[in-house]
Order: sequence, then C-alpha cells, then structure tokens
Amino acid sequence: MTDTEARTAREEWGSRFGFLMAMLGAMVGAGNIWRMPFTTGENGGGAFLVAYILLLFLIAVPGLMAETMIGRYTSNGVIGAFKQVFQTKRAQGLGLVVLVVNVALMSYYSPIIGWALYYAGNSVLFTFTQPGFQPQAFWDGFIANPGLVVGMHTLTMAGIAGVLVFGIRRGIERVVKWMIPLLVVALVAVAVRGVTLPGGMEGVAFVFTPKWEFLTRGSTWVAALSQALFSTGLGWGIALTYGSYLGRYDDVPLGGGLFTAIGNTSIGLLAVFATFPVVFAFGLEPSAGSNLLFISLAKVFPELPGGGLWALVFFVSFFFATFTSGLGITEVGVTTVSEETQFDRTKSVLAVCGVIWLFGLPSAYSTSFLGQMDFIFGSFGLPLATLSIIALVAWKFGPERARIIDLNRNAGIYIGSWWNPVVKYVIPAVMLFIIGYGVVISIGTENQTLMLLGVAVMAALTVVSTVVMSVVGNAPEKISDTGVSVSGGD
Amino acid sequence: MALPTVTWISMAIAIVALPGVASVALVKSLRSEERKLSLLKKQDKVDSYSPRALAELRDWVEAHPNDPYAPVARERYNECVETLREVEEPYYDWSPEEIDQLDRLD
Repeated sequence: MTDTEARTAREEWGSRFGFLMAMLGAMVGAGNIWRMPFTTGENGGGAFLVAYILLLFLIAVPGLMAETMIGRYTSNGVIGAFKQVFQTKRAQGLGLVVLVVNVALMSYYSPIIGWALYYAGNSVLFTFTQPGFQPQAFWDGFIANPGLVVGMHTLTMAGIAGVLVFGIRRGIERVVKWMIPLLVVALVAVAVRGVTLPGGMEGVAFVFTPKWEFLTRGSTWVAALSQALFSTGLGWGIALTYGSYLGRYDDVPLGGGLFTAIGNTSIGLLAVFATFPVVFAFGLEPSAGSNLLFISLAKVFPELPGGGLWALVFFVSFFFATFTSGLGITEVGVTTVSEETQFDRTKSVLAVCGVIWLFGLPSAYSTSFLGQMDFIFGSFGLPLATLSIIALVAWKFGPERARIIDLNRNAGIYIGSWWNPVVKYVIPAVMLFIIGYGVVISIGTENQTLMLLGVAVMAALTVVSTVVMSVVGNAPEKISDTGVSVSGGD
Repeated sequence: MALPTVTWISMAIAIVALPGVASVALVKSLRSEERKLSLLKKQDKVDSYSPRALAELRDWVEAHPNDPYAPVARERYNECVETLREVEEPYYDWSPEEIDQLDRLD
C-alpha cells in the first residue's frame, strides 16, 4: 500500500459499544468523582440536581450532538474540520486554538492522572491498610517528592502513548471497553457499601434533600451551568475527534449526544452515592475536593471491614476514570497532527505525548503551578474552545443545514427544529456569560492578576493561531463541485 | 436514619432522569446497531433517513437549490430513495405506499 493510500483510509470504531464507552470514558474524569458530589451538596442538594438536569438536557445534550455531528460530517480532526467548513486558511486558527487548549489542559491533567495511578498502585499493594499508615503524611510525602510525581506523570504519558499508538480500534476501543464497565461496577459496589454503613444515609440526605430556596440563587444556576458544560467535555474537540471515526451508518444524536451527556452525569451521580455516605459515616469534611479523595478516603477505607479491598476498588476505578479522559484529550492532538503533518500515527503519538510530557513537568513539580494552569485554561481556555467549535457548527455550517443534512441521517432519535436556536444562540450566550462571570467575580480578589493573565493569554492565542495558520495552513478543498464558498449560517 | 419522603422522591427522580435515561439510550443504541448490521448482512444497504427526516431534506433542497451544500444534500436524498426502492426491509418505519411516492431530486 502506498503512503497516500494508507493516509486516505480512515479508521472507524469497531463497534457501537466501543464508541459509546470511549465517549463516556473521555468525558468522565476527576471532576465527576470529586467535584459533582460536593457541588450538589453545597448548592441545595435536590434543588441543584433539578437545575443541573434541566441545563444538561437543554445545553449539553444538543451541544454534544452538534460537536459529534461536525466530526462525522467532515471526517477530520479539529483543524481539518475548520478548514473544510470555513474554507479559509485563517479560520483554521480557531482549530489550532482548540488544539493548543487541549495540549495545555492535558499538560496539567496528566500529573493528576499520575496521582490517581500512584494511589491505585498503592491500593493494589494494600499500603493503606499497613499498620501505622498516616494518610496526610503519605500524601505530603508523595507530593513533595519531585522524582515520584514527575515519575508518575511520565508513566501516565507513556501509558497513554502506549494505548494511542495502536489507534482507535485496537488502542482506545480495546481499553475503554473493559475500563468503563469496570468503573461503573466498582462505583456501584462502593456505593452499596457506603449507604449500608451506620450513618451513611445522612450523606444521601445531605445530597438529595431539596432546599428549594437555592433555585432562586444565581450562584446555584452558575454552578449547575459550569458542571453541565465542563463535566460533559462539550466543545473540547473530543466529541468532534471521536465523531470523525464514526462509520456512515452510525447514529449521532442518541449516542454522541444523549447517551454521552446523561451517561457521564450518571457516573457523577454514582460518585455521589460512592463518596458521600462514607464521608458522613466517618464525619469527614465534604468540601475537601481532591483532599477528600487522597487523604480522607484513604484514611477511612481501611477502617471498613475488608477495607483494603474497598480502597483498591475505589482508587483503581478513579484511575480508570482519569486515564480514559486522558486518552480522549490526547487523541485530539494525535488525530490533528497526523492529518496536518507528514507524520504517521506512531510519530504523531510520540510528538504529541512528548510535548504534553514536557509542558506537564512544571505542573507535576508544583501543585501551585497546576492550580494556576487550571484557573487560566479551565476558566478561559475551555470556554474559548467551546465557543470556537459551536461557532463552526452554528454560525458557519448553520444549524438547519447540520440538522437536516447530517444530524438526522441514520439517527436513533429524530431531532426537531428546536435544536437550531439552542445551538445557535443559547450555548454561545451561556459560554460568554460564564467567561464574563469568571472575570467579574475575580475582580478585586487574589485571582485578579491571574484572571487578567488568562484573558490576555486567550486573546493572544486567538490572534497568534490565526496568523500562524494563515501562513502555514494547508489550502482547503472545495465543498462541492460548484466551488462556492459557504456564505454563513442559516 | 429514616429519610424524608421528599428526599426519596428527589433521589428517585435523579435516578430515573440520569442512569434510567442513559440505560435506555444505551440499550436502544446497541439494538439499533444490531438491527442495522443484520439488515446490512441481508441486503447490503440500509436507508439513511426516516420519512420525516427525508421529507425535511427534500423541502430544504427545493428551498435552497443554489446552496453550496445542496449537491451533498441532493446526493444523500437520492441515495436514500434508491436504497428504499432496492431493499426488502427498510430500517426506518417506511410503508410501501410512502416509498412508491418518492421521486429522485434532479
């Protein structure tokens, strides 16, 4: 086979189950396990869930449909999709923005996967049930040991490269098909154990008892919006990239939209059941975030009968959740680099994973730097990436075209015209609101400088990416035989 | 600890709206793939649009004949019509009368 032939034969998912598990695995991450339980409890419990579920169906589900659809339609990674739809070299800069944001995100997410790997490894060795085990000292000793944290970051990226090098079907799909079902089974098992603990039901009551007055608070809706958008990975380029490997007879709205968004949140709900009963049964501080996992839970699992085993089940499943997200985030770069350069898949994997590893060293070394990266890219980079992708579908391709020509093709559920205004107006408005809200609440706080830096970095990234792609971007192919450029969204 | 009724209701709604809907979507999606594969094995082709979606596609092409995406849309429409005429068992809920009334778009 010639090189040209090899590069034109695009891989496809081997099975529907594989695609769905890959989408779910990519979207379920650390945020589902440690953020959703606390956010729910802190914002009115059942009242927050009402707001969250509403916004999930209203925004995340249609948004993920749009992103997956444009991936399947263009059969391209992020830069290629912008190239094909916008038909200009300059607009490919928005694709580069999405790519850079993903690489930056993965550079600080990889060390977190490394933490999960370290704890999963130690749970396998039953370290947490050793006599005299001190969880706080164990965590402090780990995080203060540069060799160990950098080593875990290195192992993580090596593991991700080791999976991605085998491609979509033999790499990602083969791994997620057993990791995600195991994650679900493990969380169900821990949840059952948690709610049957003395005092465990208090945790359930804390999370699910609706405090309706919270629905009148703006902060509840902002928290629900952030959780609905960020925990589903909408607009990060992952759904676009994974969607680009769908076959011609595959459905988008049912699997890529509804199942991915709702399935992802279902795992968040399972995490609520898995962590909060334990938190309340042992009188822990529910707002402890990552500390809740790595210090508090490491302390209480061994106190349960058969605790070493419960710790193993929990930490290994947490590692699975983070690792499969790492695969999705990194694949965005791998697909794009292999399409836009002369690199084959192996070289693309090595290049992307190498760059992420290098840029991830400061975050691995310093949790303070990691926090700053998270603030800048989480608060401003991800909304910018989401806006870019939604602009691609809603404002250039056009929602009516998208829905009629492609979204409802081979679809498992019919999507009506209600989808058009949601994608075209509601999602961009929400993203702009979240960026604006992030700016406003940072003014006058210790985060103000970081916020200004974040806004400046994103503005510079957009300008530089546009200029770079104007110069080095590949010329787009014509949309149709007419050679007419698309005039804009409908 | 006995939970208040409102907590049970809230929990039940969350379980139905999240894992409940996700499970139904998963099963429906996997069954749909199974059926498509079985039809592809039997007749080598599967219709791509439901009656409602194909009617919308036709209306859109007729309303936007000079749209840059019209050739793609027309090609997809005609391909679906041809497939419906050739296959014994459509994937979507098409009646023989509906299929008979379909024309290619030129």
